[in-house]
Amino acid sequence: MRFRAKIVDLACLNHFSRVINTIAKLAKTCTLRLTVGKLYFILSDKIANGGVSMWCELCQGNFFNEFQMEGVAAEHNEIYLELVPENLSRALKTAQSAKAVKIKLTNKHYPCLRVAVELPSLSSSSRIVTHDIPVGVIPRRLWNDFREPSVPDFDVSIYLPVLKTMKSVVERMKNLSNSIVIEANLSGEMNLKIETDLVSVTTHFKDLGNPSWTSEDGCQSSTQSRDPESMAEARIDIKKLQQLLAGQQVNPTKALCNIVSKRIVHFILLHEDVSLQYFIPALV
Amino acid sequence: GVLHCFLFLPVFGRAIHAIARISDEFWFDPVEKGLALRSVNSSRSAYGYIFFSAMFFQHYCWTAVSQPRRKEKQLSLPCRLIIKSVLPVFRYVNVLERNVEKCSIYTNINDHHITFQLLCKHGVVKTYNLTFQECDPLQAVFAKHVLLADVMIHFPTSQEEVTLSVTPMKVCFKSYTEEEADLPKTMLTEIQLNPDEFDYFQVGVDSEVTFCLKELRGLLAFSEATGVPVSIHFAVSGKPIAFSIDDMVLEASFVLATLSEVEKETASQQPPRSPQRQESAAAASGKAPHRESAKPASPGAKQEVTNVPRVAEREGRGAGGAAPAEEEEEVARAVPGGEAAESRYQKVRRHPPCSRWRALAGTERMLRFHSLFFGAVSCKEKDAVSHTRSLATASDTEEDFGTAPSSQV
Repeated sequence: MRFRAKIVDLACLNHFSRVINTIAKLAKTCTLRLTVGKLYFILSDKIANGGVSMWCELCQGNFFNEFQMEGVAAEHNEIYLELVPENLSRALKTAQSAKAVKIKLTNKHYPCLRVAVELPSLSSSSRIVTHDIPVGVIPRRLWNDFREPSVPDFDVSIYLPVLKTMKSVVERMKNLSNSIVIEANLSGEMNLKIETDLVSVTTHFKDLGNPSWTSEDGCQSSTQSRDPESMAEARIDIKKLQQLLAGQQVNPTKALCNIVSKRIVHFILLHEDVSLQYFIPALV
Repeated sequence: GVLHCFLFLPVFGRAIHAIARISDEFWFDPVEKGLALRSVNSSRSAYGYIFFSAMFFQHYCWTAVSQPRRKEKQLSLPCRLIIKSVLPVFRYVNVLERNVEKCSIYTNINDHHITFQLLCKHGVVKTYNLTFQECDPLQAVFAKHVLLADVMIHFPTSQEEVTLSVTPMKVCFKSYTEEEADLPKTMLTEIQLNPDEFDYFQVGVDSEVTFCLKELRGLLAFSEATGVPVSIHFAVSGKPIAFSIDDMVLEASFVLATLSEVEKETASQQPPRSPQRQESAAAASGKAPHRESAKPASPGAKQEVTNVPRVAEREGRGAGGAAPAEEEEEVARAVPGGEAAESRYQKVRRHPPCSRWRALAGTERMLRFHSLFFGAVSCKEKDAVSHTRSLATASDTEEDFGTAPSSQV
């Protein structure tokens, strides 16, 4: 099992750092899956997470100048590591002006991701800052826990409003209530609602647009038959939603959510070279 | 702001000429403490900075003006002048010396003018009215040389202890974790520096000392704010390590105990426990105007003070506004075989200002290096008189322009 990678381009480094910062805001511990072409940050839906799950996918070629990976076995050419993304975020934080950043899987006394940042210095040799981030190697028998979640059979799929706006609305609502209701219909309308004994607040968004999905057999999705005005709704933990929105450092190219009434809300945030899916289950 | 000053001309003229070599325009920044001239070339590969303390001028009068347009009250007024317009004023420095009795500089931001007025012999008065462009302050865009704060920033703020390890070829700061059990869970950071990054580096023997970074952070922030380089003196593990900054008008010294080798080994062999720190008595002091001898421990202190160092007075310091004494802390020498302290470092008590600590000098096998800041800083004490003639100082008062570095220490 070997892994080594290198970033020399500052723009790529900043981009990668931003992705890691987002992940760090969403999960205290998560799984890093390495394949030949991609990196995945995965959080599976355990009770400990409050049932949320996350699937974030990056093409390594868009970030790394060098990327070499040898998995656990030839026919399972992948590596699954458990790590604290905040550590990685911190290691990259002070690499803003780095000449190069190398990441390597090591196992001196215990498995680590070693992040070596080469910084410019006035002397002939560079300044090197090394961070050893402890990781856990996840054995192959547990890999099934981390499969890509399938798109749920949703009732409504709708594009999200401008994230900045949505974030400030949710942030203010967070002070008033622990849960928030997201409801939306196929006419591009979405409402965010909170309701307490003292107050209820609803924010209405319209003209958001609904993405069209085709199912595997090429037909239009089953939502075709649904009344366009009818709202699908789910009550979710407001903190989880706020974390998701607050963690976005860059505006996504596409942002949408799929609502399964009273069951789950599936958020999809797409950037040029990163895709993030986040599932927040409905509260009972 | 309005700036009046009468100055020693040839020197000022030569400063303008020096700056002129860098660029066609320069920043004229009068601040409360003096006048700064800065220039950067178009390719941003050269930066010049000359600061005249208020004492350079026969008369320096500067008034702050709050600028409603700006968000915060800006105490300084940076303005950009075209060198070509200013050079004629000071073109023939030798002639200036002979003919000009006095030069005054007035600025008035309201009508965007700077006036240079030369009072010459025979009653001749030459007045040059120049317009300037108000602009944002020129920020130092070039990376400062090794600042200790820039090194420590790589450690997380929660990092308690750091080990400094030196060989003649290498300087290394790395995080230190005492509890073996914690190791697989903790992120460890290590910074390697080349000795030639430092202004002065002298290492006689390989050495490794571990000290508490948290206690140092205050000095790091202070050093960064004042721009004064930090010098580090240390010997071997167990002996204290001293971080000091030393400037014309202030000095500061933080002395920290280091983990002794014996305790380090014991700690790793035995199940985790709080080891004793072998302490040497130490004191952190600022430049106190009063020299009091150290007072004995205040009642209620846990440890008995068995020894507090006396300090030799330093001679010939310039008067300059003394910085208020830094937080005085005193670390008592541990009572031999003493009881486990609740923190592994003996608890500190606040004391009234005590005499400055000099006892570190003269310890055998002293290892000492400075950090570079904007060129070599002489460690010789400047005497108060000569500095008025200096054209350049090492201080770079970034904080005047609200460009406090974002780094956290």
